[in-house]
Amino acid sequence: MISVTETAQAENIEVRNKPKVLIVEDEKGLRLGTKRLLQGEGYNVTAAETGNEGVSLGTASEFDLAVIDLRMPDLDGIEVMKEIVKIFPNTVCFIVTAYASYDTAIEAAKVGAYSYIPKPFNPPELLDQLRKGYERRTLLLEAEKWRKEREERLLEITFEKTRLNTVINSITDGVLVVNKNGEVVLYNPSAMRYLNLEKISIEEYIIDKLHPSISDLINKFLGTNNFERKSYSTQIEIKNASGQKGPGDALFIEATSSPVPHPDGTLAGVVVTIKNITEMKKIEMLKSQFVSMVSHELKAPVAAVYGYLKLLSDGSLNISREQQANYIIRSQIRLDGLLKMVNDLLDISRMEMKTVQRELKDLNLLEIIKGVIDLLHFETSKKNIEVEINKAENVPSFRADSDEMIRLFTNLISNAVKYNKDNGKINIDINDENKFIVIKISDTGIGLKPAEKEKLFQEFFRAKNEKTKNISGTGLGLSIVKRIVDSYSGKIEAESEYGTGTCFKVSLPH
Amino acid sequence: MQANVKKILLVDDDLDLLEQNKILVESKGYKVITADNSKKGWELFKSEKPDAAIIDLIMEEYDSGFILCYKIKKDEWGKNIPVFILTSATYTTGFKFGSTTAEEKEWIKCDEIINKPVEVDALIRKLENYFASKQV
Repeated sequence: MISVTETAQAENIEVRNKPKVLIVEDEKGLRLGTKRLLQGEGYNVTAAETGNEGVSLGTASEFDLAVIDLRMPDLDGIEVMKEIVKIFPNTVCFIVTAYASYDTAIEAAKVGAYSYIPKPFNPPELLDQLRKGYERRTLLLEAEKWRKEREERLLEITFEKTRLNTVINSITDGVLVVNKNGEVVLYNPSAMRYLNLEKISIEEYIIDKLHPSISDLINKFLGTNNFERKSYSTQIEIKNASGQKGPGDALFIEATSSPVPHPDGTLAGVVVTIKNITEMKKIEMLKSQFVSMVSHELKAPVAAVYGYLKLLSDGSLNISREQQANYIIRSQIRLDGLLKMVNDLLDISRMEMKTVQRELKDLNLLEIIKGVIDLLHFETSKKNIEVEINKAENVPSFRADSDEMIRLFTNLISNAVKYNKDNGKINIDINDENKFIVIKISDTGIGLKPAEKEKLFQEFFRAKNEKTKNISGTGLGLSIVKRIVDSYSGKIEAESEYGTGTCFKVSLPH
Repeated sequence: MQANVKKILLVDDDLDLLEQNKILVESKGYKVITADNSKKGWELFKSEKPDAAIIDLIMEEYDSGFILCYKIKKDEWGKNIPVFILTSATYTTGFKFGSTTAEEKEWIKCDEIINKPVEVDALIRKLENYFASKQV
């Protein structure tokens, strides 16, 4: 079975590869004779009896070769050829004529005949002509194939170029490419903006129009072929269009230059990419501000304790026993405050890094608050402060981490105790308002001045006045409270009147 | 003799540092008066007319010390006394300031900026230099 199929396939291939010849000849004897001769030589032959038949056959499918009689009753052979070539320009045509003459040959060639064959012809001459014609046909096809491929490739290149340009123009980073003479080869609109240039022209010398630091970056490569394959970067503060400089509208960019080598390793040019790093710079600035604030706050208690130790160890000073004891107690208080501050800072850092492991549970906030009040019993009874809790009915449970909720209410309620008057009062209301659990904690304490209220949630802010002088604190409690509330998408507000008390309102979405 | 004892005003919102510096400066034979905020410092300056003032920079505000110093130096009595500013800001932040640029000279009127923690011997030496130059 298999062998039969293979044979059939082999024959098919052979049939397909046979040169296809169209014979257009009105003389029957000659037509059949030629057909037989060519078939015998392995050609795939189709014969037409008239000029018109020749046209319809020759234009319906493509022939490799066409042998066309010049004189036919219905249609001139040259006309037949013209029609065929119109459709299939690569069909190689021969004109057969009994009136072989120089003029005929020229005329035939003019309209595109490959050659003419004089009649009567002898078989070897015909076969030789057809063989050459077929070679010609093969070359024509090959040439056409290459031409098509070349056109396709050109199209592709054009398309790639357009696409690349679109991509480069769309990216937010600036891109500027210069050749080794420092002339612009490529740039995008972002580059223009970051370089503060109104206009860039291709091939213009640009180095002296750039920010000196960027020119330096490019000049590291220009004028040398012994460049290193590495990049250089620089950060620059760009003034805005009005020429003003200020933290609000300053633009910081980072420019990086890299060499563009030719395939042979010599320098073709330099590509500069420009990134907007303003946001990064702002965060960096906030970070260093925070660090310097932290250092200052940590340094103060250390300096105080250090100072006391120096006084205690200095034998030349006249310090009474009473004073000595006081210095030791003061040192302990300062160290205790320092420890609390470090713990608060660690908590904040954990919250910032989102490494807090939360265990979410449905919590009854009333129970949490009652627990906190129990913990603060010593402080409240010392100042004889009365605590009253009012909880509305149907306040739903709140899904949260219980440690965080305890921390939140401990900080708020201990503030309400610390900043309260002796024999004062703390009112705690728990309500359900429009999908929010709202907890209000009001005290009858010293209250806040309007300026203090604004800074309330800032790290290390502590209201400093006569009344708060002797109240200790890290200045981080409310900042932690705010972070916890924020992390549950909640809201915290403070209402206060200096001298009469403060009310913190925490709204937590349930 | 008593009349020759110089009176020094110390202003610092850190009560512990205030106490320590008071003890140290007193041990060098000065009379020390203290205030723990700039308002009290100003009142004390007006009523006591000290011979020198040593003021912490960061109190209620980050520049409270400079402001108090500015007021003292504008005062008829104050313009003739040395005013020192104590700070740890230059140490922790690397932030540099002094009274060198025109703008600083305009606003920062203090005679010395002293880094904390205070080296009391050096501080006293500087003070005495000022007192000595005034007598000449």
